[in-house]
Amino acid sequence: MICIIAAIVFGVLAIFSASFRPLAKEAFDCTFRLVTFRKCKTNLDDRIKGKIVGKLMKKSPLTAGLVFKYFNVLSVIFVILFFASLAYTGYSTYNYIQYGNCYGPEDTGGFCIFNALEGEHFSELQKVYDGEIIPPDVDDDPGIGPEDAPVTIIEFGCYSCPYTRDAQPVVNEILEQYEGKIRYVFRDFPIEQLHGSASVHSEAANCALEQGQDKFWEMHEKIFDEQEACGGGNVHPDDHIVDAAQRIGLNMLLFHQCMNSHKYMEEIEKDFDEGIKAGVSGTPTFFINGRTIIGPKPIKAFQKIIDEELEIAEV
Amino acid sequence: MMGFNVEKIRNDFSVLQKNLKGKPIIYFDNACQSLRPNQVIDKILQYYKEFPSCGERSLHKLGKQVDKEIDESRKTIRKFFNAKSNKEIIFTKNTTEALNLVINGLGMKQGDTVISSDKEHNSNLLPLQFLSKRGINHKWFEFGNIDDFQEKLDKNTKLVSVVHVSNMDGTVNPVKEIIKIAHDNGSLVLLDGAQSAPHKEINVKKLDCDFFAASGHKMLGPSGTGVLVGKEKALEQLNPLIVGGSTVDETTYTTYNFEELPMKLEAGLQNYAGIMGLGEAARYLSKTGLKNIEKHEQKLNTLATEALKDKVEILGPVDAEKRSGIFSFNIKKMTPHDIAMILDQSANIMMRSGAHCDHSWFNAHGMNGSARASFYLYNTEEEVNKFIEEINKIKKHLT
Repeated sequence: MICIIAAIVFGVLAIFSASFRPLAKEAFDCTFRLVTFRKCKTNLDDRIKGKIVGKLMKKSPLTAGLVFKYFNVLSVIFVILFFASLAYTGYSTYNYIQYGNCYGPEDTGGFCIFNALEGEHFSELQKVYDGEIIPPDVDDDPGIGPEDAPVTIIEFGCYSCPYTRDAQPVVNEILEQYEGKIRYVFRDFPIEQLHGSASVHSEAANCALEQGQDKFWEMHEKIFDEQEACGGGNVHPDDHIVDAAQRIGLNMLLFHQCMNSHKYMEEIEKDFDEGIKAGVSGTPTFFINGRTIIGPKPIKAFQKIIDEELEIAEV
Repeated sequence: MMGFNVEKIRNDFSVLQKNLKGKPIIYFDNACQSLRPNQVIDKILQYYKEFPSCGERSLHKLGKQVDKEIDESRKTIRKFFNAKSNKEIIFTKNTTEALNLVINGLGMKQGDTVISSDKEHNSNLLPLQFLSKRGINHKWFEFGNIDDFQEKLDKNTKLVSVVHVSNMDGTVNPVKEIIKIAHDNGSLVLLDGAQSAPHKEINVKKLDCDFFAASGHKMLGPSGTGVLVGKEKALEQLNPLIVGGSTVDETTYTTYNFEELPMKLEAGLQNYAGIMGLGEAARYLSKTGLKNIEKHEQKLNTLATEALKDKVEILGPVDAEKRSGIFSFNIKKMTPHDIAMILDQSANIMMRSGAHCDHSWFNAHGMNGSARASFYLYNTEEEVNKFIEEINKIKKHLT
């Protein structure tokens, strides 16, 4: 039975190293013989067993004895576990492609190995809130879509975060596709720990809002579009922000006065605190009628939840 | 034992001075292949460093040096086997080639009979099986059973080809009686001496066998070396297995004239370095004393046998004296490979497992094979004690 695992392990190793090819060939031969109910000619299974038990004998003869006596049972268990994990990996991969998470339509928001290994598809806070979770509301933050729409999407985003930026095309697509059925609200969640001047971007957007909703969304778009030029939050962004403000036609006197007064810092901090209390630990985090999506995910992930919520609302 | 100092002997084997993964090597796979002393290795290197040229054909100084060394080796091997003349020593690449040379070279015809024992190495069995495909009758008798042998012998028996010492369990065929009976019947006798030449004093004159085959790699010599010792008259009857350079002294486009022995049977450029190494190995063994070596091996085998005879299933007679230096065994609920692999991994004890090229015997007896420890001159009582300790551990924890 152990030949099956050996065939796969040596088979993979043989791709990278010629020295494993004879072993891989032997293991495949043994596996073929096993499935055709014949004895392994080269005794590869015995050799593997002997090698494992021999090594264990040096450390713990008792363990070696147990492994030796139950080697066939252990082999069967390992083969079953191997194929089970292979199947589960396949299932999770399918879910990841189809739904943007490893758990499928019933996403629990739990740990997903793809996110963890492929490295932070969201900007993560170092400390995670462990108090009582309070679902977020739209507050008085700028939004798009009817206020009484059956589905509300609240995004906690950081203007200096590349992942928040990457999520914007999907947001725009969603807004277009579900026009009139959803309300989208952007709330500030500047992660200063990662992006040094993130708050400056949020202040600029809020100062633009002062001059009208349209100006806010223009500034919102400009900051994300030109995030690199804005320093990605790590280089002081003042110069480019001023330039962007001029290009979207803001009253520069008012804009400068607003920026210098830092009068929206309180509002930004409020958004941040409410985000923390809602359990936000990184950006972007979306709440779709309270259901969470973390990071830039494929549009299918959003559509799935929105469609379900629309169905519940019988729209 | 006069002059036998195992520690001194061990100093001649570089490989025994090394540790593998922090532990010394315990080499008990001598029936397969022995280790080589520095003297043999130096002799091989001498050829390549000092006179790496053609023998038997080149008249220059280096060529003459090769001829001298090869003659020396042949002389040493002749003395080692107590053969009559250098003509009776044919260098081969191993026992297998020597056996094939005789079995195929006698020009046996349909209706002739060849006899072997039921415990032959594939190297002896296969050539005989191939003969039977050509209509030659192949019979086999129970190893060691003279009555059975006599029963199988008939007037058509041209050759009796038997193993001297079994590589499987170390038991010894009563070859003197076999040879006597065969000769009385007018049959030639070929002995497979692969397991006897390295461990026992071989005197082909006393044995009176017609052919004796042995391997260099089992008797401290280089791999790729072997020897066929034969009576000159018997060797004269052989057709060469292969022909070519140095087997003839004259050719035309249509004719040839064979050289005299031994060259007639040694086609092509020879393994000069190997032959020199084999000569040196024979010198080393003779100097150490084959009787001393045999006694030493039996002492080690007795030590292992007495300690383990009730714990393992020994192949062959329990009496160690009847099994030369071979301790072949099985442990219930374990395969031979399990035993060998575990000993290798846990204690660097290296031994052979499986059918030892004696598949026919194991198949006839419904067995998968055995684990085989085979001792030699450089093995020590401490090593055997370690082996006993590890087998006891296996018995306690794994069965």
